[in-house]
Amino acid sequence: MRKPLYQRVIGYVVLIFFLVVILLPFYWMFVTSFEPNSDISAYPPAYFPHHWTLSHYEEAFGQFHFGRYILNSVIVSITSTFFVLLFGSMAGFAIARLPIKAKQPMLIFLLIISVFPPLVVITPLYMLLRDVGWLDSYQALIIPYTAFNLPFAIWILRNYFLQVPGALFEAAKIDGASVFMSYWRIFLPLTTPGLFTAAVFTFVACWTEFFMALVFNPDNTMRTIPVGIALFSGQYTVPYGTIFAGSVVSIVPIVILVVIFRRWIVSGLTQGAVKG
Amino acid sequence: MSKAMERHASFRTERGQTSVVRHDVRAGFGMLTPAGIVILAVTIFPILYSVWMSFNSIQLTENGFQFTFNGIQNYVDVYSAPLFWHSVWFTVYYSIVTVAIELFLGLLIALAIQNVEKLKSVSVVVMLIPWSLITVISAEMWSYIYNGVYGVLNAILQGLGFIHSPINWTGEPVTAVIALMAADIWKTTPFVVIILLSGLQMIPKDYYEAARIDGANGWQIFWNVTFPQLRGSIAIAGLFRILQAFGIFDLPFVLTQGGPGSTTTSLAMLGEETLFTNLHFGLGAAVAVSTVILILGACLIFLSAFRGMVGEEAQ
Amino acid sequence: MKSKVKRWTSVALASSAAAALVVGCGQPSGTGTANNANGSASTVTSTDNMVSVAGVRIAKPTHLVNYKNASGTIVWAESFTTGPTASELVAAFEKKYPKIKVRLQVQPSNTDTNRADLTASISGGSSTPDVYMGDVIWPAQFAHNQLAAPLSDYLPTSFWARFSNGLVAGATYNGKVYAAPLFADTAFLYYRKDLLAKYHLPVPKTWQQLQTEASYIVKHGGAKYGFVWQGADYEGLTCDFDEYLADAGGSVLTNGKASLNTPAAKQALSFMRGLITSGVTPQSVDTFQEAQSENVFTQGNAVFLRNWSYAWSDSQNPASSKVVGKVGVAPLPTFAGHGTNGYSTVGGWDLYLNPHTKNLAAALQFIDWMTSPQAQEILAANSEMPTIKAVADSPSLAKYSPVFALLPQVKFVSRPAQTPNYPAVSKAIYDNVNAALAGSVSVAQALKNANQQIQQALSGSGSGGL
Repeated sequence: MRKPLYQRVIGYVVLIFFLVVILLPFYWMFVTSFEPNSDISAYPPAYFPHHWTLSHYEEAFGQFHFGRYILNSVIVSITSTFFVLLFGSMAGFAIARLPIKAKQPMLIFLLIISVFPPLVVITPLYMLLRDVGWLDSYQALIIPYTAFNLPFAIWILRNYFLQVPGALFEAAKIDGASVFMSYWRIFLPLTTPGLFTAAVFTFVACWTEFFMALVFNPDNTMRTIPVGIALFSGQYTVPYGTIFAGSVVSIVPIVILVVIFRRWIVSGLTQGAVKG
Repeated sequence: MSKAMERHASFRTERGQTSVVRHDVRAGFGMLTPAGIVILAVTIFPILYSVWMSFNSIQLTENGFQFTFNGIQNYVDVYSAPLFWHSVWFTVYYSIVTVAIELFLGLLIALAIQNVEKLKSVSVVVMLIPWSLITVISAEMWSYIYNGVYGVLNAILQGLGFIHSPINWTGEPVTAVIALMAADIWKTTPFVVIILLSGLQMIPKDYYEAARIDGANGWQIFWNVTFPQLRGSIAIAGLFRILQAFGIFDLPFVLTQGGPGSTTTSLAMLGEETLFTNLHFGLGAAVAVSTVILILGACLIFLSAFRGMVGEEAQ
Repeated sequence: MKSKVKRWTSVALASSAAAALVVGCGQPSGTGTANNANGSASTVTSTDNMVSVAGVRIAKPTHLVNYKNASGTIVWAESFTTGPTASELVAAFEKKYPKIKVRLQVQPSNTDTNRADLTASISGGSSTPDVYMGDVIWPAQFAHNQLAAPLSDYLPTSFWARFSNGLVAGATYNGKVYAAPLFADTAFLYYRKDLLAKYHLPVPKTWQQLQTEASYIVKHGGAKYGFVWQGADYEGLTCDFDEYLADAGGSVLTNGKASLNTPAAKQALSFMRGLITSGVTPQSVDTFQEAQSENVFTQGNAVFLRNWSYAWSDSQNPASSKVVGKVGVAPLPTFAGHGTNGYSTVGGWDLYLNPHTKNLAAALQFIDWMTSPQAQEILAANSEMPTIKAVADSPSLAKYSPVFALLPQVKFVSRPAQTPNYPAVSKAIYDNVNAALAGSVSVAQALKNANQQIQQALSGSGSGGL
């Protein structure tokens, strides 16, 4: 059923306005990455570059090992996201639908964990990883990232599991389904918006995390993108061109993923998962 | 009730708990275990260690940290430092203002996306761009935009005739805060939009149908149908945004370095400075723990305002 | 590593022997007053354990290491990030000492990020990196927190004689030397020689002259801004301020106590603020770090620039600079009546030794070589100012960069970094100076606040008590 005209018009106007506002700074970053250094701090600025150059991109990939950084970030982020979704949905389901005790304390505890400033836990975590011999490895990042992103995922997924009608659970039990089966077969598919939401946030959080990646993985072949970009800067130089080039490149995989999976993501986010 | 359902219906055993329920409880703990193990293994030791640090005076020695228990002395020192209260004040009002604006804007945009037919996938992709930027990079970008001499924002404002001379965005106390907030809102409103958007989708369509049949107009539908159903998502978005806002670090660190002076020094920045710049580990841990307590307090206040709206328990 | 008892004995001896000439207490070098880190003027007594090397009293080595035949692999954490300097150095070193391999660990060059990273790993007991590059203001803080090993314990005292004046003092804490100066940094006045020629103006020798000339040129449309420098709320502002302060005859600390409540300090800060209020310097300078100020200059929008020596090559790089061939460089001016040339803050990078290293001999050999003429020539060729007399005083240095030729004319002032709480001291300076530049507080009030906060910082608590 179509929405009334005025609603659609207002919707378009508001949406397009905000899309433009959101895109403007990014547009500026994008074009700056193609400008030669001499134009970057020119005033008045050129809203559209007079000269184009690929030198910053060449520098990012050639002089710095950006390709390797991308690979590391991809491996770490995808793996962490996978585990967060798997463990998080199980835990979220348990808290939402199963008659276990101490739910409130657990939720509060999860809050505490996501609230604790990561910088404070870095040194003890470092000692832990060093004792296990896991520095300079993928698991050095995957495990902490999973742990620190689980609380949010659990909260979100719990919320989604709560909104699935309880009758389904009863029906499944009557049919003899085990708890795990009803979780896997029935509930999980119904909470795809939640899964995509949690997936997006976790992936982005892992993709953009800086400090743990800096301290736990000092070897140059194990650096991730955020650390790599930080290394572009010299002591007194902020090479905007190269930094922005690296940044544009780091967004491209996310955009590609979203474009490829856009049907699922969009339908997950914009179609009702539960028909009336 | 059918025979089958009778079999599965709850009935009291001598233990006071149904066997079905007990089985569910075991399954429940089983499903909690993987998450539990990962979380506890990684976070328990560091967090407890940090809490313990806050009750000690810590000296770095060649054998690592040397702890000397000093009770709440660190906390006394922290709470008697004016800088701490400046940071608390700044962090609190910064968080409240940005989260309020983001919730409002996020709702607006999410509703807009829901109400249009085309542009849905484009919107989602565009939303993800600011969110997926590395925070430090986003801050560098804004620093470039806000630059008082060659920044593009001043160029645009001057070109449009809004201002006569360039504004020193990050150099004045008032504009620095505004600049910071604007950069933050730009980057994190998408977070709210996505949560609210997916929350909107869980509202069954016939609720809208029923309201429309009853003759309700758009505003009434929103207020009586959409908003109540959305409270859970709003609560979650608000909750986690508050968490993040209270812990804000990267943005002020790069954009204003906590300045001018200490105007924009957030609690997280203060903690980092105490820990890793001044190397006062006991005090830094006390700042961190105080930050956690403050955030928890804020969360509890926020949750009680949304009492019972963060998903009722299904029993 | 030696036992705790031995360590405390040597510390006690060092303190009682009143070591550590503190050139770094903000006094211009060459006055030779002795202060120790704890703030009391001390008499210099000689004991068997102290030696005087290049004007600095340092403790004799307790654990001399013979690293002639060292071998193994060491990790070097370097912050050169871009450019071939690091790999050139490593290649040359490994060629000369084939038994030692050096692995590079690239670190961000931001001082605070670097320090946080190194603190997290070294305090966590890591044995790598074995050698790391660090800021020139770290020795006291790192020594106090056992994040750096006392090099003077392992190296012969003759080692320290190779360095240029004042550098070893800056790396000393409680009588021991914790860092080997790797390359130095000096600030200069960069000017548009084409504009000065056009308006028939000489290179300014005093600050007042600079202000007048800049104002004149801007008024006549020669450039958009007169003079740009670093006024943001960060460590660099301490460097800039220290220079004006020393030029006016003042110092941050006198006899170990904060001394910003002097007419000299007032003159310095008032001048800085005056540059802004008179329009010679844009108000935004209070958000400028080195990169921003240099950008304004290389875009051709400023007549004068105060910046470090690296700015020379940047200004002559056609890829990013619009003023190639139009730039002159001179020592910084001073205030009228205070000599012929102005002061420059000592900057630069040092090499530090990780106390947990498992390759002490190899690390020491590396540090020795990096401060030898061969390595220092490589650094000079890469526009880094050498720290050893053999190279720095050699007249052929000028071939690498015209700024090197100016070195003999420069007077140096060190930052008051001889206290482990230096970051808090510095913050007290730059927070308040920045507030004065922004016009939020008066010059007098800013200096008063700074003075008070510096005292607080010296007494052991961090900024504002933390």
